[in-house]
Amino acid sequence: MRRRMLPRLPVLFGALIVLLWVLCAVLAPWLAPFDPLHSLQPLVPPLSDAGAGRMFWLGTDMLGRDILSRLIFGARAVIVWAGFATATAYVIGIAGGLVAGFYRGHADRLLSFLANVVLSFPVLVLYILIITKVGASGFNIVLAVTFASAPAIFRIVRALALDLRERDFVLAAISQGETPLRIMVLDMLPNAAGPLIVDACLRLGYTTITIGVLGFLGLGLPPPTPDWGGMVNEGRPLAFAFPHLILFPCIAISSLMLGLSLLADGLRDGEQRPLKSTGTNLP
Amino acid sequence: MKTPILARLVEIAGTMLAVSFIVYLVLEANSGDVAVKVLGPFSTEDQRALWMHQNGYDAPFLWRYLEWLARFAVGDWGMSTHYRVPVWQLLPERLGRTAMLAGATLVVMIPVSFSLGILAGMAKGSVADRIISFFCVATTSIPEFASSVFLAAIFVFWLGVLPGASSMTSGFAIRELVLPTLVLALYSAGYLARITRASMVEVMEAPYIRAAMMRGVPPARLVLGHALRNALVAPVTVIMLQIPWLLSGVIVVEVFFAYRGFGSLLYEAGLNSDIALIEACAMISVAVVLATQFLSDLIYAWLNPRLNRKTARADAAGIPSETPAAGAAP
Amino acid sequence: MFGLKMLSGRRLHAAAPELCDRLIRGEIGRRDFLQTMSWLGVSAASASVFASAVVGDALFPTAARAQEAPKRGGSLRFVCQIQEMTDPAAVSWIEASVVFRNTLEYLTLVDADNVSHPYLAESWTPSDDLKTWDFKLRSGVKWSNGDDFTAEDVAYTIKRWLAPESKSSNKTSFAAVTQVEIIGPLAIRLHLDRAILAIPEMLYAYNCPILHRKFDDMGADWPKNPIGTGPYELAEFAIGQKATFRRRAGYWGTEPYLDEIRFIDMGTSSAAHLAALSAGQVDILYRIGVSDLDLVKRLPNVQLLTGKAAQTIVMRMQVDQKPFDDIRVRKAVLLAADNQQMLELGYRGEGTVAADYHVAQVQPEYFPLPPVKRDIAQAKALLKEAGHPNGVDVTLMVGNTQGTWEQNTAQVLQQNCAEAGIRINLNVVPSTEYWPVWNKVPFGLTYWAHRPLAVQTLDLAYRSGAAWNETHLADKAFDAALDKAMAIVDVKQRSQAMEAVERILQDQAIMVQPFWSNKFTAISSKVRDYQQHPSDYFNLFKTWLA
Repeated sequence: MRRRMLPRLPVLFGALIVLLWVLCAVLAPWLAPFDPLHSLQPLVPPLSDAGAGRMFWLGTDMLGRDILSRLIFGARAVIVWAGFATATAYVIGIAGGLVAGFYRGHADRLLSFLANVVLSFPVLVLYILIITKVGASGFNIVLAVTFASAPAIFRIVRALALDLRERDFVLAAISQGETPLRIMVLDMLPNAAGPLIVDACLRLGYTTITIGVLGFLGLGLPPPTPDWGGMVNEGRPLAFAFPHLILFPCIAISSLMLGLSLLADGLRDGEQRPLKSTGTNLP
Repeated sequence: MKTPILARLVEIAGTMLAVSFIVYLVLEANSGDVAVKVLGPFSTEDQRALWMHQNGYDAPFLWRYLEWLARFAVGDWGMSTHYRVPVWQLLPERLGRTAMLAGATLVVMIPVSFSLGILAGMAKGSVADRIISFFCVATTSIPEFASSVFLAAIFVFWLGVLPGASSMTSGFAIRELVLPTLVLALYSAGYLARITRASMVEVMEAPYIRAAMMRGVPPARLVLGHALRNALVAPVTVIMLQIPWLLSGVIVVEVFFAYRGFGSLLYEAGLNSDIALIEACAMISVAVVLATQFLSDLIYAWLNPRLNRKTARADAAGIPSETPAAGAAP
Repeated sequence: MFGLKMLSGRRLHAAAPELCDRLIRGEIGRRDFLQTMSWLGVSAASASVFASAVVGDALFPTAARAQEAPKRGGSLRFVCQIQEMTDPAAVSWIEASVVFRNTLEYLTLVDADNVSHPYLAESWTPSDDLKTWDFKLRSGVKWSNGDDFTAEDVAYTIKRWLAPESKSSNKTSFAAVTQVEIIGPLAIRLHLDRAILAIPEMLYAYNCPILHRKFDDMGADWPKNPIGTGPYELAEFAIGQKATFRRRAGYWGTEPYLDEIRFIDMGTSSAAHLAALSAGQVDILYRIGVSDLDLVKRLPNVQLLTGKAAQTIVMRMQVDQKPFDDIRVRKAVLLAADNQQMLELGYRGEGTVAADYHVAQVQPEYFPLPPVKRDIAQAKALLKEAGHPNGVDVTLMVGNTQGTWEQNTAQVLQQNCAEAGIRINLNVVPSTEYWPVWNKVPFGLTYWAHRPLAVQTLDLAYRSGAAWNETHLADKAFDAALDKAMAIVDVKQRSQAMEAVERILQDQAIMVQPFWSNKFTAISSKVRDYQQHPSDYFNLFKTWLA
């Protein structure tokens, strides 16, 4: 593979965006010019003077809260909830996939069947079923995302594990009498990490959008949490008259998604072993 | 060839059965809840008890499930509590509307994605490739609820050239299809173009194409005559797998443009806790997913006879689940 | 006397002269005068002439209109939810009545100024003690199936509300009716067990249309067998989709202008409604939200209609649920709340600030009480006294039943209360999930629709054991004060009696009732003579399309 600087540019760009949002999330209290939950002047347009030498860079929302501050704190909500949801999905998906790939046979058949059943639900149908049943809250969103994504992760891990199970170092470990748990976690998982990280980047982005869509449908995080999807939803009725209410949150969601996608692409390019069976081997 | 298909059909039937059990378990396990939802919050305890007795809700759960399954299997899908008509009366029109929207989206999306994908994949690493690839990632990153608002702002309120609601109240109007189609195509075209590009790149690096290139076959003939058929195998299966998404993943677009399709029906059913309707919608969505997966397997095998069936299955079935854009795109 | 005439041509009601004196002395306004006179069965025209002579012309003149001759014909498209309306007496949504109102008619008609007019009843005469009401029905009215309209239809309809197995909320609101007596082929008498003044107005409630005497025998499913006395007949009906009405021949009253009215259900997205209106796909929207105003003002071919009404939201606390069972906690919430800020930020200032006792300035019996003054220090002190020195955590359930401004208002209250150490956790649910529990949650935000009289609301919402008593308030003193106010004919005296009622409500601190929200709707500039109605009882019989 040629390693020129130019093709790496999009990846660097993606990494930069993601890094920026992570920094925002971590440093939110120091970066945000205002309290994201405090009402000041309602519906101020972007680049307005806020008095005392301060600016409403991105304007304020209908309750007079500074949009820039809400976006910065919103990065926290998004990264925490989307990250948490993706992480739990991974824990469950990886555990199932390793077990199925290692033990094969009945365990594999049962787990694969369950995964197929869940995967045969279109994702939004699944969300509506779950959220209308248990109600909307941060925790329930995590639950819904976990339930919907874990089977897909399971499939990737299972495919990788089935392949790894036949490798010499695993067979050697088995013959040396290592415990299955040890083999799965210490020998197989690290070798599956590459493709999983690529998938995780994309999935984190889609979870961000999913939380946004649930917010749009009125099933998102409870206010006043400054989450980006919720900001779009709250600002939507006023958006035609005050586009800044949703323009900036949309840019935030899209940029994070874009950053994660570009990053995933770059990581995949760097991935030495193309994954035949996952279908994700895009350049 | 016959046996694997039969086995697959059995597997599909098993999945449907499991899905029906889950749906019933989630929605009707608590029979008191069902009574409240059907009779309304102001009903009295006596009324609820009577209703539960009359409708067999005092039977054990498993027995109720089997009864429901039997009724469902013969087409008795119950009454919609919100629309007050039998569920089967609602579905054909809504499904037809969504099929129309999905069809329009595919008609717009396929030529665009294929052209972009082939153009980019023909010359990997070129400026055109890089611009197209970035564009594809970018459009896929804009959620539909955002593009809906922005497109409506531009074409309905600012330019005033398109109708903003797509309810088709005065019969079919092609103008009302434009905006929803545009939003859906914008969101999903990028993904398909990326798949096409990847597939094209792979084919272009295949020995037989390289050999043809060495022989000096002109690029146009090379692509059209040799590469295309093989390069389109993966994208075509992906299109099949996007159909379920076009059926129920379009909720946001249908709600925003007041389009009376299957997605908005499902959304309203969810909001109104219309149990019989949710059950029917969920079962139909699942049936469509399984059917398209099955078809996509067949198409894959047909287009790509060199591969043995087992790999084909794994490949084709792997795509929707592990690339969120097809399966998990909201 | 004074040139006032009863609609029935009978002797003027005993309470009428006193009302005239009060109008002359300036103790009551023109509107209150006309409204009360109309209840007593005095012709609105004669009362209006009298009032004009005394206090000058109408305070709410009909908006000036260009000199245009109304045009006949055309099809009007009206965006409105199409709900289930199997039994028109049992519906619980006003939208349903806006639809069936084109075929089904009422005994009386209450206009936008709250004045009651004759409709299927030609005149009414209450006894001096307001416990016996005679209604003379219009002659020559025919049902759309050819049957004559008679007193039997009316008696059947009202008895059906009151029957033990009735599913109509009229069972509660007309509980005082002990007997429905047919006293002639076109005359009916209602016997009440207590004095009620507003009977004519109550008969125009959305679920009070007069049904055919064979409604139950004919299947008790109105859309399937849509017989009515009105000028239109139902041609198409599908819940959640559409309802189409076409003009029919043989209507008893003035022919309406429109040939066809098409109600279209466009779902819940207000963006879609406005987009459709802007693109000329529809003509009238049932209502628009406060957040749509800015857009509507920018649309060239759209008229914005605004009106004041006694509609409000209450963030009410249940007096038997922790921590609200301690009145000091409830008082602390009221002391922390900034009603003015909630109006400005939550509803963009498009309303009138309220003072936590659910009686509106636009209602005739309004008595102005000073608002609860904001006092964070006292709120904190009260919380400490109540055993919450470190503040208290509560959950407020919001259903956004009228739009996201509910959740916005709640967020302002959340900020207000945080200052006093009351940490409100907002639980926002879809409206369809709020209504099933609206009267069950300890702390919830509920929307209350306009009612012409405050006592109608208070009777339903705050009387001990009342059907819709969501706060679980049970206060004997309140019930007694309300009874006293409800029996007084005289507006001025009634308003004075309301002081006690309002004060108890405010002192009990059962709700933060921040403001009265204005009503808005948007219609196409082609639509003429369409009027908003404070209760959303829209009448399309005079509307025409230019």
